[in-house]
Amino acid sequence: MNTEERQLADVLHRTTPEPPRQVTVEQVAYRLVSEPRLRREPRPRRGGLVLSRAWAPILAAAAVVVIAGASAGIAVLATSHHHSTPPAVGAPTSSSLSSAPASSPSQPPSSTEPGTPATRIAGGPWGAELINRYAFNQDSLVSSNGSLYADGNGFLNRIDPATGSIVATAQYNPPLPNPPVIVGNTVWVVWSYGGGNVYLHGYDARTLTLTESVLVPSIGPVGASASNVLTSGPDGHLYVAAGLTVVVVDPATGNLIKRIYLTEGPATSVAVSPDGSTLYVGTSVGAGPFELVVKNLATGTVVNVSRLQTDSGGDLVATSGGVWGTTGVGMSEWTWFAPSGDLTRAVRIGQGAGAGFASVPSYSGGVVWVGGSHTLTCANPADGQILDTATLPTDHSVVEYFGSPALVGSRAYSFYQDDASQVSGLVRMTPPAACFGNVSS
Amino acid sequence: MDTLTGVEHLAEPDGFRAFVEARSSALLRSGWLLTGDWTSAEDLVQTALAAAWPRWSSLRRQDAPELYVRKIMVNTFLRWRQRRWTGEIATGRLPETQAYDVFAQVDARQSLLAALDRLPARQRAVVVLRYFADQTESQTAAAMGCSVGAVKSHAARALARLRDAPGLAELMTGGVAS
Repeated sequence: MNTEERQLADVLHRTTPEPPRQVTVEQVAYRLVSEPRLRREPRPRRGGLVLSRAWAPILAAAAVVVIAGASAGIAVLATSHHHSTPPAVGAPTSSSLSSAPASSPSQPPSSTEPGTPATRIAGGPWGAELINRYAFNQDSLVSSNGSLYADGNGFLNRIDPATGSIVATAQYNPPLPNPPVIVGNTVWVVWSYGGGNVYLHGYDARTLTLTESVLVPSIGPVGASASNVLTSGPDGHLYVAAGLTVVVVDPATGNLIKRIYLTEGPATSVAVSPDGSTLYVGTSVGAGPFELVVKNLATGTVVNVSRLQTDSGGDLVATSGGVWGTTGVGMSEWTWFAPSGDLTRAVRIGQGAGAGFASVPSYSGGVVWVGGSHTLTCANPADGQILDTATLPTDHSVVEYFGSPALVGSRAYSFYQDDASQVSGLVRMTPPAACFGNVSS
Repeated sequence: MDTLTGVEHLAEPDGFRAFVEARSSALLRSGWLLTGDWTSAEDLVQTALAAAWPRWSSLRRQDAPELYVRKIMVNTFLRWRQRRWTGEIATGRLPETQAYDVFAQVDARQSLLAALDRLPARQRAVVVLRYFADQTESQTAAAMGCSVGAVKSHAARALARLRDAPGLAELMTGGVAS
């Protein structure tokens, strides 16, 4: 190598970051069983692996794949329909925790992990008290029918808000940030998101027993750097960002009832307005800018397309007044509100997050909530008006993080982390009346 | 309603887990340099490892599992780019993406990715294999299914393009460390 080549090699080694997470054998096994062509072909052939429209019917017929990963082997069950109730054998349910793969979390919660005696957090907002010391994933917390749901450390968890106890679990490693979506008595999560297809799993909302599995074939590869790719509409349907389409799924039957095609690029985030009239889709291509596409769901027409002058964006949440989302990555992330989905009129909400945390909006109890590492904010879903803001404490100059809350009754619950004292868990707060004043969803 | 059509068991090959645990970080970093984002990098590495699984014993006997995995990664990446590549990517808007990040380390990464985005797919693959994965010209040629001469040609053209890449020259002459 000459000097220039050595300098380039040095830059590549010096500048390339460490990956945020490792690839696991279980992930590889899943790819292997869900994509049999990887086993058949002696080597990839030109053009042979890329999924195209021609793959859609094949994938739709390919159906459910349930894996029980174990260090000794992988069991595969395939059915002829894309929607089914998978057999209990090998299914990653709460009953299968004892046969978890060797590389699964070393300290999984039991199905009845007790909460923590409520402990006030010094300087915490809205009377924050820690009720659970389990490390959930940031901004995965949602509430439904008096329960809280969150994922973390390889499990989907149902949490009793009264005690902070984990009362049911199911083995689950989220492939991307996407809070669980509850429709009726089923908790839906994105089980697999990569390449040319998307797998959704549905769990019984009380026991977290796996009850449904749906394959959503993508048109074109699914979007990179995606988040919030699964949501539900007021019609009770699931909306899934799947490559160059958004697929509408009837969760009652598992049928793919509609494809909404995009021309702007692969969908990386999706949200549906509370009245079901409008679809918001975030798209980005490579290092290109983040685009927000607004579609009329009744006519399928594009109502508006606008851009952020940044290549990162997503985590869309729709309300009556427009759509909320994020921009920035990792060390500097904040939330915006775009009235009617027009980014040219977007306003910043809250102070965002730093130190590697995320600031992701949530919509719970008719109020929009924005957490972070600087402020905790509640806002009016109709016009983005900030209703109240609490300043978040620091611990010896190290930021403390409060995730965007989910509401149960009049209490707000959020993920909490204090890096200085290495404490994380679930906090319970009592938001001020101002957060609920004159709010219409 | 559902009909079971097959049940099969795939045994995990000896040494596969140790390889994944030891090399996944390095492979992911190569994937990041090829694709520019972690999601695609993970997809690339998982695809390559899944392809290597069924022939793992043979690869171990040849003492070449990593070479094979990298070969699959590069070929898969080139196929992806064949579908997505529509000519040179305009770089005019890339510097704007730095507006919200004040950390020099992130700037350095974005400059590096912007520079690599200027390269056609095969030149980018040669850069990653030769200068990041530290493979020889003949190993690079074998991975890409081309001649050593072609590797040299791709490398020379890539270096010429990278010379004009904004921000990269500063990095090469002693910029920000990670």
